[in-house]
Amino acid sequence: MTATDLFIALPIILLAVGALVTLLVGAITRTTNIGIVIALAATLGAAFWLMQSPPTLPAPTLGLSAGGLSRLFGVFFCLLAAGVLCLSVAYNRERGISGEEYPSVLLFTTFGMLALASATNLLTLFLGLEAMSFGFYILVAIDLQRGVSGETGLKYLLPGALSTAFLAFGIALLYTVSGTLSLHELMQFTLTSGTPDPIALAGWGCLLAGLAFKLSLAPAHLWTPDVYQGAPAPVVAFLSGGSKAATILFLLLLLPQAVDVSALRIPLCALSLFSMMIGNCAALRQNHVRRLMAYSSIAQMGYVVLALLSGKSGGYQAAAFYAIAYGTISLAAFGAITVIERNGGGETLDDYRGVGSRQPFAAGVLALSLFALAGIPPTAGFTGKFLIFSAAIRSGEITLAVTGILLTAVSVYYYLRVVVALYFNHADNTEDTQPRSIPTAPEYAVLIAAATTILILGLWPGKLIELLSRA
Amino acid sequence: MNTSLLLTSLVFLPLAGGFLLLFMGGRAQTAKITALAIALLEAALACSTWFCQGAIPSAGAPAGFFLYEDFPWIEQLGIRYILGMDGISLLLVILATVVTVIAMLVSWRSITEKITLHYLLLLAMESGIIGVFLSLDLFLFYLFWELMLIPMFFLIGIWGHGRNIYSAVKFFLYTLVGSLLMLLAIIALYLIHGAQSGMYSFSLAALLGTHFSPATGLWLYAAFLLAFAVKFPIVPLHTWLPDAHTDAPTAGSVILAGLLLKTGAYGLIRFGYPLFPEAARTLTPLLIGLAVTGIIYASWIAFAQKDMKRLVAYSSVGHMGFVALGIAVWTPVALSGALLQMLNHGLTTTALFALVGMLDERAHTRQIEDYGGLWGKIPLFSVFFVLFAMASAGLPGLNNFVGEFLVLTGSFKAAHLATILAFIGVILPLVYTVRLIQELIFQKERRTLPLSDLTLREMSVLAFLALCDIYIGMHPAPLLDILKQPVALLTGGVP
Repeated sequence: MTATDLFIALPIILLAVGALVTLLVGAITRTTNIGIVIALAATLGAAFWLMQSPPTLPAPTLGLSAGGLSRLFGVFFCLLAAGVLCLSVAYNRERGISGEEYPSVLLFTTFGMLALASATNLLTLFLGLEAMSFGFYILVAIDLQRGVSGETGLKYLLPGALSTAFLAFGIALLYTVSGTLSLHELMQFTLTSGTPDPIALAGWGCLLAGLAFKLSLAPAHLWTPDVYQGAPAPVVAFLSGGSKAATILFLLLLLPQAVDVSALRIPLCALSLFSMMIGNCAALRQNHVRRLMAYSSIAQMGYVVLALLSGKSGGYQAAAFYAIAYGTISLAAFGAITVIERNGGGETLDDYRGVGSRQPFAAGVLALSLFALAGIPPTAGFTGKFLIFSAAIRSGEITLAVTGILLTAVSVYYYLRVVVALYFNHADNTEDTQPRSIPTAPEYAVLIAAATTILILGLWPGKLIELLSRA
Repeated sequence: MNTSLLLTSLVFLPLAGGFLLLFMGGRAQTAKITALAIALLEAALACSTWFCQGAIPSAGAPAGFFLYEDFPWIEQLGIRYILGMDGISLLLVILATVVTVIAMLVSWRSITEKITLHYLLLLAMESGIIGVFLSLDLFLFYLFWELMLIPMFFLIGIWGHGRNIYSAVKFFLYTLVGSLLMLLAIIALYLIHGAQSGMYSFSLAALLGTHFSPATGLWLYAAFLLAFAVKFPIVPLHTWLPDAHTDAPTAGSVILAGLLLKTGAYGLIRFGYPLFPEAARTLTPLLIGLAVTGIIYASWIAFAQKDMKRLVAYSSVGHMGFVALGIAVWTPVALSGALLQMLNHGLTTTALFALVGMLDERAHTRQIEDYGGLWGKIPLFSVFFVLFAMASAGLPGLNNFVGEFLVLTGSFKAAHLATILAFIGVILPLVYTVRLIQELIFQKERRTLPLSDLTLREMSVLAFLALCDIYIGMHPAPLLDILKQPVALLTGGVP
């Protein structure tokens, strides 16, 4: 192992060591906050280190990549984790989630994401994804005080295990065809021009089925609403923002290396169309805000698949942009939901009535993120949708683009329902007597940072687009 | 006079001022006065551009634009920040600032809760609307186009009455569906132009020379037309408007009628026709047909209304039908008429909504059958009411007459039958207007209502609008002079 290897692997090592140290500290002292502080330091340190340019691109002996895309997403995952940690402090205190295992597992999850981001080998990629998923299996069920926690954990674990089986089998099939696990060569062998090998196709089918679960694409989306409803709100922010972005990155590391992806066009088309339709239409009928957001995320991932479909004409950049935009919006939206629920608010649209005047700050951030999800300018959501539809039209997917944009119009209706509940419906008088509660300083910091990023990516997205097109 | 960044300050002054209000905390009275001061300053700034007409435009400005700003914005996608002002924009921007001041004044007392937010939203909307009237880059235009929906949605939803939530959501969805398809068309236009010229750009000037196959052009134009027609509103797509107007607070109705509807017409004039001349010509008969249908249908429906605000809303649809007719035939005279009619409609309908709002504020009912004998009880109000109702009905000597006359003159040669039918549309408003005046003003008093005559604030608003109406009615020449050059440049391409 050379110095360059160390340079590139340092953020990953930092996170892993951080996770272990947090666990050890727990054995010495029972103060929860120390664990959070250590975890915060580890994530921010890793993010800072990832911003430095490495001496050479792939690490010579470890086979870890430090390309632009990997580092960009690495920074994004670390900052997202830091944001989630800040949001968790007050929320966990309220819900009685204590102990060092929370920050430790969160760091471990981030470690998985980072390993995935820097993989140059399909096995590393898979292990990164699984390490991340493993963390999430624990995180969604970490609220032991509540009965639904266990149920949520199982609902996530069982389909998750199935999807892992699919992924592993798919990778095995692809290995059979290509005889290599190196990403570039494997892609060259399995997705060639002309008629691809049937075994390779079967492998890709299994891989896509597994990834469809992770991305909650219809028809593998059924776990999403239950998990979004049952898990702690900051964890949902991380799940929605981080695990989705990581899975998109998984595809982004694979697909651009292929010679010809047209063999995957029909399954991807179907996944995109089903997700957009089922997600948007089912969200219309939800009265539970988190379930509504879950269906919305299903629909949003449909748009990302549309971008991946039109990859060669700028779709890969669009998908990467949207992954980051959606992650930021998720952090803002679920951050606001964290604050609202922490202050004794309920979870249904009825409970959200009048929150706009009781908790103006959180409601404002939530409204901004909803407008961003709806694709209203000048937000990150608008720029993302703009890039996606540009790519789709350029690659000739006109039907899918028109369907997608009309379904966006449908989606506006349910996002507006939440805004209406926040601002237009007045709460019953009994609830108005509740004291106005103020977010804590870390919550303010995270929400302001996320909201600012949403606006900056809407108004001046040039810098990020440039980074992505160079990557 | 240094005119650099004048347009940028025009666009962003209200928005910046609006954020200033946020720091006033709970002091609603201060916020209210500050907002009015900002709006007045903005109006003064807008009027000052009148004197820039002789200014030498900066290099690269398209013909007719005397003020022009062009900066790179999102260079990676070829998006630029381009603002430009020609005669058409000049008049519409002045209208926008004036109507915003009026909207603030008419809601001075009627808004009692969340006052700061109300004025913040009015200022934000002003920014959005002025941005629409000045942008010359399609991406920037789309940004402002969507941006102005959000404040209006909140205005109707928070301070509206009746089924305001339903109306607010309906308004938002209707206008958004149209715009989203336009967004796809804008992207397609950008890609087609980029593929042809190798230079990807959203700038209107660059996109003007794009060639399409007739079918592509038709589809793209149809998407633009849909977005504009919803805002316009052209008849089968108008159903959001009566609801939005009825349930909106007075300031919302004033801005909706006075300004928001104009953005649809403006978009068609600035972008729709010039970008797709051939497709526009193909669809001209359709647009003429819909315009004339709108003129007659809306007047007919207006006659049956019992709610005054709904009646004015339908009359608005009728008047915008004339604008649509003037644009559809695209001759210099008709187009000038349509533009003038946009201004007239902005002034007259604003006044009518303000008047109805004043009655509603006092008696808390908008049903025509509740009123009567206003002439004896509140004479000043009645005088203004009769004046503006007559202006709206197109009485010669008042402003609407000039616009309608020009539209009819300009379109007769191009479309005989449609013009003759539209002429019926000149008479129909007289029928419901005279009925309205008769029931409200001259009928015997039907219910004892707590009515008091106009206050000084209300009177100054109405007197100002009345002066504008009479001035334009008597002497429209200065306005027509300003419109002459841009209209000639626009219609030059179409014989």
